[in-house]
Amino acid sequence: MYTLGIDIGSTTSKCVILKDGEYVYAKGLAVGGLGTQGPEIALNTIWNESGLTKSDIARTIVTGYGRNRFEGGDGEVSELTCHALGGRFVFEDLRTVIDIGGQDAKVITLSESGKMSNFVMNDKCAAGTGRFLDVMAGILCVDINDFEKYAEKSKSPASISSTCTVFAESEVISQLANGVEMPDLIAGICDSVATRVASLARRAGVRETVCMSGGVARNGAVRKAMEKELGVRIEFDPLAQYFGAIGAALYAHRQLTR
Amino acid sequence: MVNELLKEFHEIAASPKAQMDRYLAEGRKVVLTAPVYTPEELIHSMGFVPFGAWGADTELKRAKEYCPAFLCSIVQSILELGMTDVYKGASAIVIPSLCDTLKTLGENWKYAVKDIPFIPMTYPQNRKPEFGMNFTIAGYERVKADLEKLGGTFSNEALAHSNEIYNRHNKAMRDLDEVLARHPEVGAAARSDVFKSAWFMDKAEHTELVEKLIDALKNQEAGEAKLPVLVSGILTDAPGLNEILDDLGMHIVADDVAAQSRQYRTDVPAGDDALKALAQKFSGMDNCSVLYNQEKPRIKWIADTAKARGAKGVIVVMTKFCDPEEFDYPLIKKACDAADIPVAIVEVDRQMEHYEQVRTNLETFRDILMM
Repeated sequence: MYTLGIDIGSTTSKCVILKDGEYVYAKGLAVGGLGTQGPEIALNTIWNESGLTKSDIARTIVTGYGRNRFEGGDGEVSELTCHALGGRFVFEDLRTVIDIGGQDAKVITLSESGKMSNFVMNDKCAAGTGRFLDVMAGILCVDINDFEKYAEKSKSPASISSTCTVFAESEVISQLANGVEMPDLIAGICDSVATRVASLARRAGVRETVCMSGGVARNGAVRKAMEKELGVRIEFDPLAQYFGAIGAALYAHRQLTR
Repeated sequence: MVNELLKEFHEIAASPKAQMDRYLAEGRKVVLTAPVYTPEELIHSMGFVPFGAWGADTELKRAKEYCPAFLCSIVQSILELGMTDVYKGASAIVIPSLCDTLKTLGENWKYAVKDIPFIPMTYPQNRKPEFGMNFTIAGYERVKADLEKLGGTFSNEALAHSNEIYNRHNKAMRDLDEVLARHPEVGAAARSDVFKSAWFMDKAEHTELVEKLIDALKNQEAGEAKLPVLVSGILTDAPGLNEILDDLGMHIVADDVAAQSRQYRTDVPAGDDALKALAQKFSGMDNCSVLYNQEKPRIKWIADTAKARGAKGVIVVMTKFCDPEEFDYPLIKKACDAADIPVAIVEVDRQMEHYEQVRTNLETFRDILMM
């Protein structure tokens, strides 16, 4: 039995097909989230990759900020629920998920048995989100995928405000004007995100095993900064960006089998 | 019958201006009452119609001339409505001093809204000792004197009568709260309408309507059970918020909302001196973030009430930049955790147009409660 999970975020769309709720049969990702062609492109990718068609799918669950606007699903589920399910699907001892997406950050805690027990969402602010990193990468004219490489060379991370993207932007420009080296600046930016999200995580209560999900999870520099800030190991899996979609597909499977 | 009455409550709650115009057309004088606790009984007894002024969900433009962005949007929207003549026709506004932002509202109002006089109601922090009661009475005397300048007349008998009218209304609202806890078919939006309409009606009229609703509900079979929750906060009247609660099948079985049940928990005690009795009411009030009490009984009240009413979870609706509520939140969370009652916090303000983050938050909370 195949179930499909679609995660329509603010900047990307992700799809996952699970076979019998046991393993990832196919996955697709497209840039462009809510209100774009992203979901359609991600779906086309997954049909092409899997050779399956819509009629092969027993149930489809949609998650993410675009879930309520998407037509063609069998139901919608909050992305926090899905990230918790998806994270636990990959890491069986998972107790804390730190999800940093394009426009927000969330921390979800799970009980020993894997039941979602608490969650905290950031307030309406771009600081500590993927958007913050995108803005900074734009100012520095650096590919965001190179952040880790730069940050590794840092000797003295610059101090960047974790309060506000707009303030941080002018701070970064000032630091550039003062001749601060790029590695120190990028390490400081990653520390800034980590500081912001770590305070959120502490509010929810951090218990190991801890993992990161969402697009920012791929950024090793932020992961390392977060490990330093929280004093715990942060697990990472290449599927981290798909945890929401995996959770949605798993949710669909559970609905059919329970 | 229930639906007809709910429709009537909705129309009143959704059209405060029409209500105010109606009273003005009848030749009655309207006095605006700002949050959180104004001595409505006193205003009523002096021949005015007390009329709730809790602002509105609106874009703040003019208020920004006086207020920084990080100020409670309820207060800012009251000023906005004052500056844009929405409250035109009111004889005065009484603004209590129960939080720092309300204090700034009064001072700004004096300059920003020239044609509606500001009457301060200065309350003591320590309201329970005798010196605190005397301070409250002195505050009432100031309100009384200012209302007399507007043509109001005071008498002990009239205030005693108004106290009785308000006590009867309090009882009706408490009864309604209990009855609604047994009727999941009355959703959050409809519940909000009933409570909100109280601010825009003469209390005797509202009591009559509420008592009819209680009777109608008692004769109606309870609807299918939903997810029982307790809602806490200053204000929860936003249609966007209530739509989500209803969409998610949540049933408010109790509230700790300042604009709703917190208003009706305490009656004016019997006594020969009606003004002193009114001060005794204020002295006896508790369980509210703006009523100082270092023991914070409100926290236990929330956990105990949630348990007693069978709420599966507590939803704290946090008005952005409301310091008194924010100070209480960690204590609420801790007490509810200890009582094994999950808590969700959602942030709202008067300028919100999009509630998607609130929806995601509450949808996740529902999953936690149901999975």
